[in-house]
Amino acid sequence: MQSFSRIRTALAAGLLTGVLALSGCSVLSEESGGTSSGGSSSAGAGEAGAGADAAASPEADVPYDVVPLLKPDKKYFGAAVEGAPNSMKGIDTYTRMVGKQPNLIEYYAAWGDGFDATGVRNAWREGAMTLMSWEPFDTPVADIAAGKSDAYIKEYATAVRKLNLPVVISFADEFNGHWEKWGTKNVTPKDYVAAWRHIHQTFVDVGASNVIWAWSPNIVNPVGSVKLKPYYPGDAYVDWVGLIGYWTIQEDNAFDSVFGPTRDQVRTFTEKPMILLETGAMAGERRRADIRNLFAGVAADDDMLGFVWFNHKKRADWRLEASPLALKEFKRLAADDSFGFDVRKP
Amino acid sequence: MTSRPDQPTHYTPQPYDPYAEDESASTWFNSDGQPPHQQGYPYDEQAQAYEQQQAQYAAAVPQQPQGLHDDQPTYALRTVQYQQVPDDEPEYHIPETPEAGWDMAASRRRAWVSRAVLLCVLAIQAALSLRLSNTAFQDEALYIAAGHAELAHLLDGTPLPIDYAAYFSGSPQLYPVLGALVDGQFGLTGARCLSLLFMLGTTGLLYSFTRRLFNERAALAAAALFAVLQSTVVMGYFATYDAMAVFLLALATWIVVRTDRAPVAAVLLAAPVAVLAVGVKYASALYLPTIVGLALLTAWPHKGAKSFLRMVLLGLGIGGLLLAGMYATDLLAGVRQTTTDRDHGSDSARFLLQRSMEWGGLMFLAAVGGAVSYVRRSRMNESPVALRLGSPGWRWRAMLGLLLCGTAVLAPAYQIHLATVVSLFKHVGFGLLFAAPMAGVGVTRLVGAHFRYPQLGIMLWTAVLCLGISQADWRFGVWPDSSKMIRTIDSHVDAKGHYLASTPEVPVYYLRDRTTHRQWQGVFGMEYTDEKGKYRTGDDAYRAALREGEFDLIVLDGLTNPRADDVIAAAVKGNPHYRLLGEVPFRNSSGTGTYRIWIKTS
Repeated sequence: MQSFSRIRTALAAGLLTGVLALSGCSVLSEESGGTSSGGSSSAGAGEAGAGADAAASPEADVPYDVVPLLKPDKKYFGAAVEGAPNSMKGIDTYTRMVGKQPNLIEYYAAWGDGFDATGVRNAWREGAMTLMSWEPFDTPVADIAAGKSDAYIKEYATAVRKLNLPVVISFADEFNGHWEKWGTKNVTPKDYVAAWRHIHQTFVDVGASNVIWAWSPNIVNPVGSVKLKPYYPGDAYVDWVGLIGYWTIQEDNAFDSVFGPTRDQVRTFTEKPMILLETGAMAGERRRADIRNLFAGVAADDDMLGFVWFNHKKRADWRLEASPLALKEFKRLAADDSFGFDVRKP
Repeated sequence: MTSRPDQPTHYTPQPYDPYAEDESASTWFNSDGQPPHQQGYPYDEQAQAYEQQQAQYAAAVPQQPQGLHDDQPTYALRTVQYQQVPDDEPEYHIPETPEAGWDMAASRRRAWVSRAVLLCVLAIQAALSLRLSNTAFQDEALYIAAGHAELAHLLDGTPLPIDYAAYFSGSPQLYPVLGALVDGQFGLTGARCLSLLFMLGTTGLLYSFTRRLFNERAALAAAALFAVLQSTVVMGYFATYDAMAVFLLALATWIVVRTDRAPVAAVLLAAPVAVLAVGVKYASALYLPTIVGLALLTAWPHKGAKSFLRMVLLGLGIGGLLLAGMYATDLLAGVRQTTTDRDHGSDSARFLLQRSMEWGGLMFLAAVGGAVSYVRRSRMNESPVALRLGSPGWRWRAMLGLLLCGTAVLAPAYQIHLATVVSLFKHVGFGLLFAAPMAGVGVTRLVGAHFRYPQLGIMLWTAVLCLGISQADWRFGVWPDSSKMIRTIDSHVDAKGHYLASTPEVPVYYLRDRTTHRQWQGVFGMEYTDEKGKYRTGDDAYRAALREGEFDLIVLDGLTNPRADDVIAAAVKGNPHYRLLGEVPFRNSSGTGTYRIWIKTS
C-alpha cells in the first residue's frame, strides 16, 4: 500500500514537473513572441503615428529598395511648389493646372531643420517622391566635414531610415556659384567633397539606404571658370547629377545651349544619370518655345531622368500661371505618357 | 505452520500468478469472510479443508448455532474435550505465501503501461522540437538545395552546379535527395518534421533495446533522458542528415541487441543498416566499433564462445559492405576532406570539454553512475526471485558499462583532437544514444528499489530537461532569421548574376527557382583572375574582384567570417560600383547583428 502511494506520488510529481516545465517554456516563448510582436507593433504604431502608408504594407520592415527609382523607364515630372509637400494644397492646385500629378516634389530645408517625415509621407500618398534641397546657411561646410554636426546628421539619418520611404537629398546645391553662402567664395572643393562624403557615410552607417543622393551644380554657363570635377564626391557617393538651370531671355533657348556645356563637362568624369533638379523659363514671348525645348530635350536624352519645374515667384516669376499660353503648351506636353509615373510602382 | 514439503500433504501449492485473472482474488474470501462456492479454482482444495475443519468443530460444540452464515464457534469459557490429533498430521493448513507479491516476467499489462509512458516521453520530445523556429540554417539550406540539384540531375540530367560529393560530409545522393523530396512537397517544415520522425524513432528504438538489455524501467528512464537532450531536440527539427544517421545507428544497434538469442547469422541484418548510416553521414563510422562490440556482449550470456563468431561476422559484414561502397562510389575524397582530414580549428580542449559537459554532462554522469552501480550489483528487480537469477559476471557487466559509456566520450575526444566545436552538439547526442541505457540504469538505481527516492530521478530529469530546452533555444537562435534579407535581395537575383554572400547556401536554397550554387561566392576563400590577367587568392582576390565590380550583389552577416567581412566592407567603401541596398537588423542568440547588403549600380 505504501509503495503504491509512493509510486502514485512519484508519478504525480513527475507529471506535474513535466507540465510545469512545458507550460513554463510556452510562457517563455509567448513572452518572447510577445515582445517581438510588441516591438514590431510599436514600430508600426510609430510609423502610423507619423502617418505612414508604408506601415500598412507587409514589407514595411524590409529596407525600401530605391534601386528601381534610380533609373526608371519613364521621366520624373517634378515641381517645386510653395508649402509642398508638407501641405499638398499647392500641389493639388498645380495638378489641376497642368493636368498631371507631379511625382517628384522639391522643397528647401536649412541645415539644422528637422526631417519633414510628414511631408514625405504626404507626397508618397499621392504617388510622389520628395526631393529635399539641404542648404547650409549658418553652418560652414568645413565644419560639417570636420564632424561638428555629426549629432544632427545622425539624428536626421535615423529619422530618414525609420521612415523607410525613398527621399532624394541634394546637399548645398549651386555650390559652383558665387551667390550662395556655400558657394565658391566661402567653400573650397576639398571641403565640399569632404562634407558630402562625410554626410553620405553617416547615412550609410546608420543604414539609411533609402536616400537617393543628387549632386547638384548650377549650369556652368554663368560661371564658366569654375571646374566641376574637383567638386565631385565620386560615383560611390552620388546617384544622380542634378542640373540647375533656367531659360532666361538673355541667352539662347536651345536645350543644348542651356544644359549642353554642363552636361558635356559632367560626362568627362561620371556616367551617373542626370535630372534637371530645378528649371523654369522666364515669363515672356519666348516661354512657349522654351517649354517645348525643355520637354523635347528631356525626352530625347535617355540619361536625362526628368525635370522639376520651379513654380515659385522668386527673383522672377517662374510660375506657370503667369502666362496662360505657355501654361497651355506645358499642359499639352505634360500629357505625354512618358512624363510622370507613380513612384510607388516604378 | 506452513506445509512441509518433506511430508506428504493433501495441499499442493499452486503457481502464484497475481496478474492472471482478476477474479482469482475472489477465491480467497468474500467480503462476508466465507469461501465462495464456485468450483474449479486452484484453491478449492484449501476451501474444502476449511469446511472439513468447520464440520469437526460443529460436532464438538452442539449448542453452537449451525449454519454457514454464523461466526466461527468460540471455545472461550467452555471446557473443550481434548481431541486426539495425530502427531504427524497438521491440524489445518494455511496457504502458501509467495516469496514476492508480483512477477518479474514480462506481462501484457506492464508492456502497455510502459508503452503509454513511452508515448508521453515521445510527446514531450515532439513538443520540445516543434516549438523551435527559425529560417533555414546554412547546413539545412545546403543539403536541401543540393538535394534539389541532385534530383534534377537524376531526373532531367541537369548538370550539377558544383561537385557536392567532393566536400559533403555525407553522400549527397542519400539524405539530401530524401530531404529535397520532402521539401518539394511540404517545404522546410516538412523536411524538419522528417527529422523529427527519425528522432522519435531513435527514442523508440532506444527504449526497445534498453528494455531488452535491462528492463522497462531503465528503458523508460533512458528514453526520457535522451528525449530532452539539446542534441535530440535540435536534431529533431533540423533538416540535416544527422537525424537520419542517428536513427540508422539506433536501428543497427536495435537489430544487434534484438538478435542476441537468434542464430548467429541474424546479426548480419545490422550490417547494411550500419553501412547506410555511414553513407548518410561519414562520421557515423566512429560508432561502428561499439555496435560490433555489442554484438559480442549481448550474445555472450546466451551463446558463450559463439558470440565471438557473431562479432567477427558483423565486423566482416560491415567492413565488406563499406569496402564495396567505397569502390562503387567516388565518395572517398569527400570523406577525407570533411571527416578525416578536416581542417583543425582553434578551439581549446578546455572549451570543448566545458561545452561537452554542458550539453551532455549530466546524462553522461548518470550513465557512469549507472555503469559503476551495475558492475557492483547486477540485480535489476525488486523481486527476491531475481536474487536467484543467474547474472552475467561482473567482468561482462564492466565491459558493457565501459563500452556504452566509452562511446559517449569518442566524439568529444575526437573533436578535441581536431580542436573544433563545429557540430559538437550533435555528436554529443550520437554518443549519448549509446550511453543512454546505462544512464537509464543509473536513474533506476538513483530512484532505488520500490521507488524509494523518486524525487532524485525527477530532479535529474528536470535538470536535463531545463538544460535541454534552454540550450536548444539558444542553438536555434544562433543563426539570424534570413526572411527579411531574402525579401530584400529577392528582386535583384537572377540566373546570370554573380553574388557574394556570407552564407550563400541560404539564398541559394530560398531563391533556388532562379539561381544556382555556381553563381554564389562565399567568404571562406576565393580565387580570382583580374582584368590584367593576374591570378589572386584570399583577401587579395576579394579586393580585386570588388574593385572591378565583379559581384552584382553582396550580402554580409557579420557573423560567419567577421574578418573577411571587414575586408569586403573596406573594399566596398568608396567603391564606385556599389551602393548600399539596405541594412537588415536581426536578433540572434548572441545579441543583435545586421545584414549589410550592397548592390552594383554602375
